[in-house]
Amino acid sequence: MAFTPGQPVTAVVQRIEIQKLRQGDNLILGFSIGGGIDQDPGQNPFSEDKTDKGIYVTRISAGGPADEAGLRMGDKIMQVNGWDMTMVTHDQARKRLTKKNEDVVRLLVTRKSLEDAVRQSMTRP
Amino acid sequence: MEDYDVRSAASILASVKEQEARFEQLTRALEEERRNVNLQLERANLPPNPSTSQPIPWQQVVMQEQSPSNATSLAMMQEPQEVVEETVTIEEDPGTPTSHVSVVTSDDGTTRRTETKDLTSNVKVTKMVKTVTTRTVRQVPLGPDGLPLPDGTSPLGSYTDSIDRRYMKNGGDRFITPQATSTLTRSYNNSYNDSYGETPESQYVRHYGLHDGYVDLADNYGSLSRGVNFRPPRYPYMPNSYRPENSYTLPIRKDDYGHVAQPQVPMGSSTVDLNRSQPERFQPEPYGLEDDRRSLGPEEEEPYELEPDYSTANRRTLQGANRGRTHREPLRDGPRVRGYADDPIEAELIDERHPYIHGMYSAPLAQPERGSMASLDRMGGRRSPSIDSIRKDPRWRDPDLPEVIAMLGHPIDPVKSNAAAYLQHLCYENDKIKKDVRQLKGIPVLVGLLDHPKSEVHRKACGALRNISYGKDNDNKVAIKNCDGIPALIRLLRKTNDMEVRELITGTLWNLSSYEPLKMVIINHGLQTMTNEVIIPHSGWEHEPNEDSKPRDAEWTTVFKNTSGCLRNVSSDGAEARRRLRECEGLVDALLHALQSAVGKKDMDNKSVENCVCIMRNLSYHVHKEVPGAEKFQDPSSLQAPGSAGPQRKKKDDAGCFGGKKAKEEWFNQGRKNGENDKNYDTLDLPKRAEPSKGFELLYQPEVVRLYLSLLTESQNYNTLEAAAGALQNLSAGQWTWSNYIRATVRKEKGLPILVELLRSDSDKVVRAVAIALRNLSIDRRNKDLIGSYAMRDLVSNLPSGQQRPAKNLEEDTVVAILNTIHEIVTDSSENARSLIQAQAIEKLVAINRTSQSARETKAASHVLQTVWSYKDLRNALTKDGWNKSHFQPTVTATPKATKNGKPGYDDTTLPLMEKNQDGYSTIDQRDKDCKYKAGDGSVDLTEREPLKNDTNRKHYIRSNRPAVSLVDACDVKPQPVDSWV
Repeated sequence: MAFTPGQPVTAVVQRIEIQKLRQGDNLILGFSIGGGIDQDPGQNPFSEDKTDKGIYVTRISAGGPADEAGLRMGDKIMQVNGWDMTMVTHDQARKRLTKKNEDVVRLLVTRKSLEDAVRQSMTRP
Repeated sequence: MEDYDVRSAASILASVKEQEARFEQLTRALEEERRNVNLQLERANLPPNPSTSQPIPWQQVVMQEQSPSNATSLAMMQEPQEVVEETVTIEEDPGTPTSHVSVVTSDDGTTRRTETKDLTSNVKVTKMVKTVTTRTVRQVPLGPDGLPLPDGTSPLGSYTDSIDRRYMKNGGDRFITPQATSTLTRSYNNSYNDSYGETPESQYVRHYGLHDGYVDLADNYGSLSRGVNFRPPRYPYMPNSYRPENSYTLPIRKDDYGHVAQPQVPMGSSTVDLNRSQPERFQPEPYGLEDDRRSLGPEEEEPYELEPDYSTANRRTLQGANRGRTHREPLRDGPRVRGYADDPIEAELIDERHPYIHGMYSAPLAQPERGSMASLDRMGGRRSPSIDSIRKDPRWRDPDLPEVIAMLGHPIDPVKSNAAAYLQHLCYENDKIKKDVRQLKGIPVLVGLLDHPKSEVHRKACGALRNISYGKDNDNKVAIKNCDGIPALIRLLRKTNDMEVRELITGTLWNLSSYEPLKMVIINHGLQTMTNEVIIPHSGWEHEPNEDSKPRDAEWTTVFKNTSGCLRNVSSDGAEARRRLRECEGLVDALLHALQSAVGKKDMDNKSVENCVCIMRNLSYHVHKEVPGAEKFQDPSSLQAPGSAGPQRKKKDDAGCFGGKKAKEEWFNQGRKNGENDKNYDTLDLPKRAEPSKGFELLYQPEVVRLYLSLLTESQNYNTLEAAAGALQNLSAGQWTWSNYIRATVRKEKGLPILVELLRSDSDKVVRAVAIALRNLSIDRRNKDLIGSYAMRDLVSNLPSGQQRPAKNLEEDTVVAILNTIHEIVTDSSENARSLIQAQAIEKLVAINRTSQSARETKAASHVLQTVWSYKDLRNALTKDGWNKSHFQPTVTATPKATKNGKPGYDDTTLPLMEKNQDGYSTIDQRDKDCKYKAGDGSVDLTEREPLKNDTNRKHYIRSNRPAVSLVDACDVKPQPVDSWV
C-alpha cells in the first residue's frame, strides 16, 4: 500500500473493536504499536513500502483483548475511533489508544492478507 | 349671439382666468419644486443642515441605509418616493462630466415645463433630481474645501450620534458597545484596526468594502481626524473592541510572540501596506462597487436573515419618512442589490421596486473603469463619495468565509488582495477558521495567487498562507503542500525583491518545515534557492572574496532568521536531509561565515545565530560516516574491526528505532579501543591542506572548534549553548581521523575548562549536551585524564543526592547522561575512579542505585558502581568508608521498565518480554513524549540532537534529550520508542 504523506490512503480495511481490559488503574489493550511519522520507517518489518510511516501492530499479547478482537501482528492501524493514524507520531498514536476515559477502541486496520484477498477476488473474473 | 359671445367670451375669459390661475398654481408648484430641488442640490453641495425642515429622523435613516456620505444620501432620500422609476440615469452617469450637475438642473427645469401638466411630472422631475443627486454626491468632494468631505463633518457628527444610538437599540446583539460612539467618531482609525482583531467575522465589510476609502484616506488617517468622522455611523459597534491603535501595529505584537518562530501578522501590517501603496491602488470607484457585486453570491439566499439588525431600524426610518413598504424592502435588500446583475431574479425584483438602488450601484459595475469618476476623485480629494456611501452603508454585513474565499478569485485584483488580507486577518490565531479555509478549498486559491504578477496580491496571499500554515494543525500545512504551495513559494522567493514578501515567504516555509513529512519536500524544491537567495547574501559570505574589501558581516534580518529556522527544521530529517544540506553549494560556508561574524561582533544571542548553530550541529551528526570519502579517514584501528566501516556500517546506521543495538555496542568497543590509541595523539599534528577546505569539509575542520568554544564562552542563549556543545559532541564522536583532531583541538584550545564550567549551567539541556560532549571527548586518553581530574566534582554535584534532587532538579535524561559520562571516565582509569570516590560520589550513586524511581538512572548508577568496585586497589578505601560489596551490586529490584510509561508492569506480567528478540524492538520508551512537535512552528526545539554515537538515524530527534548510550547496557538507554504497549 503506497503511502504518500498528504495523499489520501486507499486500503482494504477491517473494523476491529477492542474492549479494554481493566487491571487496577490500567486499561489494557494487549498489543503494542510501532512506527509513526517520527520513527524510521525503514526499520519497520511489517510494511511493504519502507517509507510508510504508519502505525503498525508489532506484538499481540496472547489471549489479551486485542488478540480476542482479532487484531494481528503486522496490521496497519488506519484509524482509532475515527482519528487518522496514518500521519501521527508514535506518541500521538499511543495516546490516542490509551485514553483513560474510553473503554472501547474501534480500529480501522488494514493487513496484507486482506489486501491480497481482495486483489485476488478482483482479478478473478 | 353676442350674449352667447359674451357668455362665451366671459366663459372663455373665465376659463382663461381659470387656466391662468391653474397655470399660476402650477407655476408656483413648479417654482416650489424647483426651489426644493435647488435646496437639495445645495444641501448636497454644502453640509447638510440638520435644522432643515426635512424630518431629521428621515435623514438619519437615509444615512444609515444609503451611504454615510451625507450629502448624497440626503438628497436621495428627499426625492419623492416615486423616484423608483429612475433606472436609466445610471447608465449615463459614467460618461457625464462633473459639471453635469448644473446641466442637469437646468434640464430639470425644462423637463418640468414640458411635463408640467400633472403630478406625474413630479416623478420625472424627481428622476432628474435623482440623477442630479448622484452627481452631486460626486461633486461633494469637489466642494470648496477640496478636502474629502470635510464639509459634512459637523452635521454628520450629530447624525452619527443618533444613528449610533439607534443601532444600539436595534442591533444590540451585534453592535455591542453603544457608549463609545463618540470615541469612535473621533478615533475611527483606531477602532477600525482594533476591531479587526476582535470580531473578524463582522469586520469584513470594514476592511473589504472600505478598502477604497481606506486606501484613499490613508493620508487622512493620521492627520485628518475629520475624514475619520465619516465612518462612525457604520461601525457603531467598534468601540467595543476598542484598543489603542498601536496594539495593532506589528512590532509590538511581534514581541508578544517572541517565543514563536513565525509570528502571525495581524492585519496591521497590511494596513501599513495599504497606506504605502496608496497611489497604485487608486481605483476606488470600481473597487468598492465590484466589491458589492461579489456579495451577491448564492449564499445570500436570505438577505433578511443576514441583516436582522437593520430591519427595525429600517422600519422605523421608513415610518418616519412616511414611506411605504416598498421602500423598506429596498433597504433590506440593499446588500443583495449589488449583485443583482448576476442574479436575474434579483435583478428583476430590483427593477420593479427600487430602481434607484439599481442605478446607484449598478452603474459603476457596468463600467468599472469610469474615467470621469476617477478624475473626480482625483480632483475631489482622493475619495469618491459613492464609495463612501457604500462603505458606511449600514446594510453592509460582513461577508462570510465562503464569500471571502470566493472573492479570492474575483477578476479585480484589489478585491483579491483584500480578500486575502482579510483571510490573513481572520486566520490570525484562529485554528477554527484556518480549518474552515482549508475545508472550503481556500488554500489552493491562495497558493494560486502566489504567482499573481501584482505584488499587492501575492503579498497578501502569502500573508494569509503564513498564518494558515502556522499552528498545530498539520493538515493545513499538508494542504499547502498538496497544491504545490512549496514550489510556488520558492518561485516567488526567486522572483520578488520585496523584503516584506520575502519575509512572508520564508516565514511560511519555516512554518511548513516544522512538519516532518514536508521537510524533504522543502529540501527538494527550495534548498538551493533559499541558500542562494537568502542565506548566502545575508551571511556576508562571498564565493570569491574580494581581497580589497573587508569581509562583510552577517545581517540578522528577519528573512535570514526565517530561512535559517526553516533549514534548521529540515536539517533534522535524517541522513538524506543532512546529505542534501551538506552538499548544498555555499550553505555550510555561509553559515560558518555568519557564525564567525557573530562571534566577531559578539552578537550571538539572537535567534539567527541559534538557528545557524543548530543547523551546524545537525549537519555535524555522523559526519564521520556520511560525508563522501569518509572511509579514507577512518581510523585504522577501527577498520580492523569487521564491519565497522563502509557500506556495512552504513546499513547498521540505519537501524533506527527498530533495532541497531549491535552497531552501537560495537561502536563503543571501538571507541574504547580508540581511547587507547588516543594516547598517540597527545602531540597531534593537524594535517596540512593544500587548499582551503570548503563546503561540508568545513564542518569538521579543527578550526570550527574555536568557533564553538567562543559561542560556548560568550553566548547567553541556552539553545545556542546546547547546540554548540552538541556540535562538539557530534564532531568528537566518530572514530575517524577528524574526530581525533577535534578531540585534541578542544583540549589545545582550552575547551575543556569551558565545557566543565557549563556543567554548572542552570539549563538542563545545556548540562546534558556538555556532559555527553565530555564523554565523547574522553575517548581521547589525555582528555579522559584531564576530565577525570577537573570535571569530576562538577559532574557529581549534578547528581541527585539520595532521594532529594539537587536544586537544579535535572531531568532523568540528564542524570543518566552524567552517569554515563562518569562511567566512561572511570572506565580504564583507576585514577579517575579514585577521583570519583574523593568527590563523595559513592554515596549518591548508591542512593540512586537503591532508591531512584527511574530504571535508567538505577542502571546507569549501577554500572558506575560495578566499574568502581572492579578496581581491587580501591576496595580498601571503599570499605574504610563503610561500603561493602552489596552496595556495588546491581539492585535486584529494578523497576520494570514499564513503569516509565506509567503503565506499571503490564507488559512484563501479561506478555512475554520480547524486546530482545524480534527486530530489536525495545519495549517502551516514554521519551517518545518528547517527540511532540512544537507545532507552534516555534521550531525552537525542532532540532535534532544527536545521541552520542548512537547509530540510529532515528527521526524522533526531538526526543534528543536522550542521553548518550550507556556503555554497558545499551539496550536500556537505547533510544527507540518504536514500540509502545497499549
